[in-house]
Amino acid sequence: MNSNHIVENLKREIENFTAETKIEKVGKVLQIFDGIAKVSGLSEIKSSEMVIFPSGVTGVALNLEDDSVGVIILDDFSKIKEGDEVASTGKILEVPVSNEILGRVVNAIGKPIDGKGAIKTEKSYPIEKVAPGVVTRLSVSEPVATGIKVIDAIIPVGRGQRELIIGDRQTGKTALAIDSILNQKGQKMICVYVSIGQKDSKLRKIQTRLEEGGAMEYTVIVSAGASEAAAMSYIAPYTGVSIAEYFMDQGKDVLIIYDDLSKHAVAYREISLLLRRPPGREAYPGDVFYLHSRLLERACRRNEKYGGGSITAMPIIETQAGDISAYIPTNVISITDGQIFLETDLFYKGIRPAVNVGSSVSRVGSSAQIKAMKKVAGTLKLDLAQFRELEAFSQFGSDLDEATKRTLERGKRAVEVLKQLQYSPIKTENQVVTLYALTKGLMDDVSVEKIKEFEQGLTEYAERNAKVFYKQIVEKKMWDDKGEEELKKVIEDFKKNFS
Amino acid sequence: MTAISNNNIAEAIYLAAKDSKEEVQFFKKVIHFLVRKRLLSKSKEILLHLNKIINDVEGRIMVKVSSQRKLNENSKKEIIQVLSRRYGGKNIILEEKLDEKLLGGYKIEANWEVIDLTIKNKLGKLQEYLTRAS
Repeated sequence: MNSNHIVENLKREIENFTAETKIEKVGKVLQIFDGIAKVSGLSEIKSSEMVIFPSGVTGVALNLEDDSVGVIILDDFSKIKEGDEVASTGKILEVPVSNEILGRVVNAIGKPIDGKGAIKTEKSYPIEKVAPGVVTRLSVSEPVATGIKVIDAIIPVGRGQRELIIGDRQTGKTALAIDSILNQKGQKMICVYVSIGQKDSKLRKIQTRLEEGGAMEYTVIVSAGASEAAAMSYIAPYTGVSIAEYFMDQGKDVLIIYDDLSKHAVAYREISLLLRRPPGREAYPGDVFYLHSRLLERACRRNEKYGGGSITAMPIIETQAGDISAYIPTNVISITDGQIFLETDLFYKGIRPAVNVGSSVSRVGSSAQIKAMKKVAGTLKLDLAQFRELEAFSQFGSDLDEATKRTLERGKRAVEVLKQLQYSPIKTENQVVTLYALTKGLMDDVSVEKIKEFEQGLTEYAERNAKVFYKQIVEKKMWDDKGEEELKKVIEDFKKNFS
Repeated sequence: MTAISNNNIAEAIYLAAKDSKEEVQFFKKVIHFLVRKRLLSKSKEILLHLNKIINDVEGRIMVKVSSQRKLNENSKKEIIQVLSRRYGGKNIILEEKLDEKLLGGYKIEANWEVIDLTIKNKLGKLQEYLTRAS
């Protein structure tokens, strides 16, 4: 493009431009501190309305008082001075959305921060929206394949479900979420990863991991970093879910991960205290439950009449010393449709993912499992529970009867099978094969140390040789007698050659 | 407990002032009250509200007009006419301010409303239009 061309283009654009003059409602900055501005005037402003400061910085009106308005500032507030003019916009805060946002990293107000240039946007979505009503919804019946055996088999997650990942620091919460995103390749799922108050180095690591796994093609990262103002952390999840809604409105399925909502609650607490709202339990404001419930209620599965599509939410909560009875964990547990509980003890025992199967539940998930998975995983949870009970008990006695020994041996193998390396999601078909071999007792004569090796060899061998079985699982989601015969034979064949 | 706003205090001062006869004595009392209640730091804002209350009662509207050059009489008349139509025939009092940075045109501020007809504002909007993402 030469300079003449640029000038021509500019001229054409300027000709199209018409400056509209409107009467603007304005106020004046009375006070400015810690990302909060007290503004006088703005008498007709609505709650959550967007305001604009002279330097182009946006803010959101949160506290409407008798003679002033408390505004949170969504950018660098050092440019704003006392006495500055603040214009109201009459609009709720919006984020620009388009299909081009896929593969990008944006901040809490939807601006790209990955250095890949501007994002062409078609429209804007308000960040606060009432969740879809009951007539538009459909019950959860389709699975989200996370590729993590313990989740897909025991705590299944369905499309439109809200499943909490909860655990102490360093127990693999984010790893679980990232693995789930990595496994969505080819599953017709859009993923939104909302990073709240995380270190930029961690975010960079996640982005690189997703790029390497080819997952950024269908993923958007919304980030409010640790160095940004609390206001950004506060709105980031709402921005994330608005982007998710844009894709859901096109009838697509979306998986959204909020990493993590404890930091979100802390950011909201900071804002509320600065706005002088009365503190309640643990100094959180009274509406901290509503803060999360209105966010998670936007996850849903819509029926065909209303365009289909779904938003599956996986919020993450970090507990302190395993205390799930603290304020925010109990709130979010009660809002979500189940939780995946990760434990430090299990993590250091080498059971990774460190999922505590006993404390984890999925309240709607079992109806979202494919039939084949339901069949093989049906007794697994019970087997594991019995194993845990007997394991503690058997430490005291040496003489055990045959049945107990059998349960213990099976349990050890089950624990071993459910272990899985990070960043290595497993296809549903392979999971079914492994769990079939386990629950039918076909692994009982393999030593515990060799289970991992056996599992890997078996799935590779079965994928090549049990074609009918695999085809049935992919197409019909269940095997028939012919498929089962074939698989049994394949497993036996494999065992003969396995030493 | 509902907090007492600056506006409430201004209203109270206005109502009390209406009934009082001894002006000097009254304002001494007001200052005492502000000191006692530790509201002296807010006196500027209270005064602003008081001003607004008095203007409202007396049907006056203070209008700030900023322009690059001094306004001529015709423009002033026109502004007063338009504003008195908008605010229901109230007495419009113009306060003029010169500002080189506006480049041209003028900006009218009244009743927490702004009508910005300056070149600076138009250029700002043009910049926004040309640098938009799409």
